[in-house]
Amino acid sequence: MLDGLGLLFGGIAHFMTPISLFNIAWATLLGIVIGALPGLTATMGVALLVTLTYKMAPDQAILCLMCLYSGAIYGGSRTAILLAIPGTPASAATTLDGHPLALQGKAGTAMGLATTSSAIGTVIGVIALALVAPLLAEAALRFGSYEFFWLALFGVIISGQLTAIDDPLKGYIAGILGLLVAMVGMETLHAHQRFTFGIPALGGGVDLIPAMVGAFGLAEILGVMKRTAEARIVSSANDRVLPRIGELLRYWRTTVRSGLIGTFVGIVPGVGEDVGAWASYAAAKRSSKEAALFGKGSKEGLIAAETGNAAVVPGAMIPTLTLALPGSAAAAVLIAAMFIHGIRPGPLLMTENPEFLYQIVAILLLSTVAFTIFGLFLTKPLIKVLSVPRERLMAVVYVLCVVGSFAITQRMFDIYVMLFFGVVGFILREMKYPMAPLVLGIILGDLLDLNLRRGLLLTNGDPSPFFTRPISLAICSLIVITILMSIPAVSKRVRALFDRGNGSARA
Amino acid sequence: MTHNSDGSDETAGEVQAERASLPMLRADLLAGLFFIVLGAAILYGSWTMPRLEVRRIHPLTVPGLVPGLLSIALIVCGTILALRSWRAPAPGGWGELGRALVSEAARRAFAVIVLVLIYTLGLVGLVPFWAATAAFVFAFIVVFEIWLATVKRPWLASLLWAAGLAVTASAAVTLVFERAFLVRLP
Repeated sequence: MLDGLGLLFGGIAHFMTPISLFNIAWATLLGIVIGALPGLTATMGVALLVTLTYKMAPDQAILCLMCLYSGAIYGGSRTAILLAIPGTPASAATTLDGHPLALQGKAGTAMGLATTSSAIGTVIGVIALALVAPLLAEAALRFGSYEFFWLALFGVIISGQLTAIDDPLKGYIAGILGLLVAMVGMETLHAHQRFTFGIPALGGGVDLIPAMVGAFGLAEILGVMKRTAEARIVSSANDRVLPRIGELLRYWRTTVRSGLIGTFVGIVPGVGEDVGAWASYAAAKRSSKEAALFGKGSKEGLIAAETGNAAVVPGAMIPTLTLALPGSAAAAVLIAAMFIHGIRPGPLLMTENPEFLYQIVAILLLSTVAFTIFGLFLTKPLIKVLSVPRERLMAVVYVLCVVGSFAITQRMFDIYVMLFFGVVGFILREMKYPMAPLVLGIILGDLLDLNLRRGLLLTNGDPSPFFTRPISLAICSLIVITILMSIPAVSKRVRALFDRGNGSARA
Repeated sequence: MTHNSDGSDETAGEVQAERASLPMLRADLLAGLFFIVLGAAILYGSWTMPRLEVRRIHPLTVPGLVPGLLSIALIVCGTILALRSWRAPAPGGWGELGRALVSEAARRAFAVIVLVLIYTLGLVGLVPFWAATAAFVFAFIVVFEIWLATVKRPWLASLLWAAGLAVTASAAVTLVFERAFLVRLP
């Protein structure tokens, strides 16, 4: 515990240099702007920034990426409140109460509350990160091939289930497609090249960064340009922005609950900020005394949504750092970026590089300070950003997509990958397939493939350890239950069973 | 039992019809069929993949194992998707799907794809990157502010903006990436 505290102070001290502070400032501000602009998402921003930070020192590069990530998740609330469209998917729940508040002339209050809630949410998540991650990493040291196989499968399935609540089948299909993409190229057990069709560039497989730039960049551009109507700012902020302490304390229960829910959602692999916000919003509505106000400008609802989505960011870093299982789509890009910079996330991180975890904690705390300051004091210039017409913005963004996918390995092939994933991703999105499981599939495919076959090799073909080792069995049962519950007929019957149980108990 | 499952299927169908729009049901049917074909192709590819017998590897660790299992999963999911949308009633679904494909929104998306393809596959690599970028940005803004405009803006202003932004963007991207961040451009 004290060791951890020492390492944490070490982490903060590490970033107290002028160059780090400068990087924190610009990356967070850029993140807020990216988050605020509809059509530019946190994942896309992080994927594009990997290119710019490619030549930086590893710690500074990760610093910039993390600050951009956390700034962008926060920045989306601006657009949600003022334009009633979420700047990033993470702030979809924020629109429900943020925009009605703005219409009542309380845009400033709403923005202030969104800022402080996001800050508190991040801090709650960061505390969980600092406490849980070392424990999880230690437990993960005991994981073998069997457990990692199930974990990878669980990640893809739970992500498919929770990012497509209406229709988990489409989530699963997206996950399977991602896993299949990962099958292309050299496999790691026997070094055999699969599905390369004689194209040498496919030998190394499909790189995650160009695929992400396509699926979250070009696909998003297409989605934005497709719309015929453009949202306009409907309200201006002329009231007090700084929230009163009493207001914050009044809803402390909601704040803490939302922070914990957000962190938990973050830990679940591949389930991102949007789900965190919706889950904490729903929980707040269920237990609120003012439930009728929700959706009509409830401050509690706004607090729940913003605390919830902010807490996902540090929460998502828990599995990302300790298991190399991305906690959200943006975290998947972060994993790719860490590998580029020679940092290997996974159970060994705590033994090989224990300072790194606390550096991430320090980065998140510092970026929270940065976005709170920017958010509370730069309201007017940030509103200006929202009036950039999308026609002008999107053209430039696409140029960045091209540069971003080319720059890392300098192959034209990666640009074609970006194009392919952009167009296919757009079509899939139009048909309501979620992107997160696809991405998770691409990053976890190798882990799943290698560990299944290595496990079978170790036991000489006997699959029983996959089902008899306690942790394996637990994850396996979780997977089975998840899939069964996503079948409408089964979940209805199970629910009916519980209702009947309750009914007879009452009788 | 039979009665029960029928009943729940019916309600499931109703729920489906409620939450998925009519053209979406038809699109799902096509997508389901596509996934079945794709899955079958991958299954064939995995089955015929070399088993590396010469290297005496364990038969359960062949490279085609996981792609084969995944392709079976894809076929199963595709079948469920196709059956589900085939059984749900969608009167006029095909017509609606056709209309969605030729709608204004689809035209705009198609315009973006054409512009993007010309820029990426045609111009980049053929002409210097800065020139390609300037041309793309200019064309993009002109197409969407003048031809496919949703908000009418004065002609001349749009042209000037397009030209200005094209020059600025291409200069800025080239300078920032090549000089400041030392990244090579295509």
